Amino acid sequence: MPERTRIALLGLSVGIVLADSSVVTIALPEILAQYDVEIQTLAWALTSFNLALALAALPAAFVARRRPRLVFAAGAVVFAAASLTCAFAPSFGVLVGARTVQGVAGAAVVCAALGLLAAAMGADAPAARIWAFAGILGAACGPAAGGILTQLFGWESIFVVQAPLLLLTLAALPGVRYTPTLRPLERPHLGANAALLLVSGALVAALFLLVILLINGWRLEPLAAGAVVTVMPISAILAARFAGAIRPLWTRAASGVILISGGLAALGWLPDAGAGWTVPPQLAIGAGLGLALSALTERALAGRASQVVHGGWTLAARHAGVVLGLLLLTPIFTADLERNGDEALAAGTAYVLDSRIPPLVKLGVAREILAAVDDAEAEARVPDVGQIVTERSEAPAYTELAGSLQDQLDRAATNAFSRSFLAAALLGLAALVPILLDRRDVSL
Amino acid sequence: MRVVTAAAALSLALVAAYLALGGASYAPAKVADPCASRDWRNPDGLSEVAEQIVLSALDGAACELQASREEVVLAFDSRDELERFAREHGIDDEELEELVRSGLLRAIADAERADALSMELADRLRGVVRSIPVRSLLGLLPALERIIPS
Repeated sequence: MPERTRIALLGLSVGIVLADSSVVTIALPEILAQYDVEIQTLAWALTSFNLALALAALPAAFVARRRPRLVFAAGAVVFAAASLTCAFAPSFGVLVGARTVQGVAGAAVVCAALGLLAAAMGADAPAARIWAFAGILGAACGPAAGGILTQLFGWESIFVVQAPLLLLTLAALPGVRYTPTLRPLERPHLGANAALLLVSGALVAALFLLVILLINGWRLEPLAAGAVVTVMPISAILAARFAGAIRPLWTRAASGVILISGGLAALGWLPDAGAGWTVPPQLAIGAGLGLALSALTERALAGRASQVVHGGWTLAARHAGVVLGLLLLTPIFTADLERNGDEALAAGTAYVLDSRIPPLVKLGVAREILAAVDDAEAEARVPDVGQIVTERSEAPAYTELAGSLQDQLDRAATNAFSRSFLAAALLGLAALVPILLDRRDVSL
Repeated sequence: MRVVTAAAALSLALVAAYLALGGASYAPAKVADPCASRDWRNPDGLSEVAEQIVLSALDGAACELQASREEVVLAFDSRDELERFAREHGIDDEELEELVRSGLLRAIADAERADALSMELADRLRGVVRSIPVRSLLGLLPALERIIPS
């Protein structure tokens, strides 16, 4: 097999596994509808995978350091089996269990892939770059890929597609000559890993909350939402292409972190509802992601004797960051969602009461809106109240009221995410502390 | 360092542009103060006079309770909501009904003074408001919607 194909297959395996971190975000409403669970419980479909991956990364790296081919093969087969279990899970509990197994097996695949890439390329540094790039691409493409698959074939297809693709990457194994290097281990690079943890926590808002805003808040179809969030991976790819030219590494990492935080702050202060408004922040976040994650991963691995183990540290840091982000941002988001929902209901009621539609019709409209709000709350989506009003009449008083109600809902849905995006921006900025503390290191 | 400066400038420009376009104030509208006076519209018919009386009464009750008119309206959506609202404001639901009732009577008097209602009709309305529970009164309105074509 040509080396380029082998490298591409190994990169693909990393991308597939790390895309899984965020790939089901767009499918959450469908999963909620299928299993009829509480919204707070639903988050475990995301958290279980990331937590398992964070916890398993280091043990997997230690084993993969000695037997990367075996660990990769076993990880890929178990991951594929767990993916198919996710697709056909008879209950939400089974889905979460299978996602946990995916996380553990995924950690094995990703850590082993780093060792195999180094063996295939004959050098550690370029292998680390390819490995980091594949991971960035996977994480950034996850929401878009999930949206497209969910809309076209249903959420189960996300997992059905993964299994054969990952098994295909097993073709990269024959012919790889790997010689374990069991030199004494150095300490992990604290600064780079701490920054990775914080940046990954901040990116939760971009990779998870933005998707929820698009689908549940602004009522976009999964395909459309998937298309909107492709801006981020495109920007990340472009930035990563030029990233190598930015030296020293700390300036690349700091620039990336600043762009991520700026983009998140802009998402926190959106001037209007509409997918177009998310494009400039996404461009900034995507570029920041491409710069920061590549720089920090390279920094964590640079000059380390056992790259696989240090790759395991970066993987653990990134996914611990995702779990941290989910734990920190979810309570802010759910509290704000409730508060904004109440405010939108009060504002909507005021618009109905003050509208020019006949007084007795107002009561019927108000009753239908309240019923629609209750139904929508149970399904974790924003109701289409404009339609309720215009179904009665298309006279100017009705269309004006429908427009006002829709505007209030858009404002409430957008504002409900505001503080979470701003908190994520602060989390991202916090990553500047370990980066700047580290800047005196001459190796940077 | 130039890259860091450029990234910071780009981020600041993006955030400043979004703030300048109203990003900090894109939130649901605040409801009006129920204690402030509202303009009376020129009513086109009896149902609009009645509507303005009800709204005025709700404003009065809400002002008394330091709540919004909309909260009071939503409280009458169901028995559970009414009990929850009464609990939150430290009153029982009978006291809440009494507040709305006295607000209604005040609003009828206001409408009578503004010549929006004749004395005879105002007396009849006062009789209805005094004798029927407010919840039943609000419950009658949906039935009226079905009876009276809009």
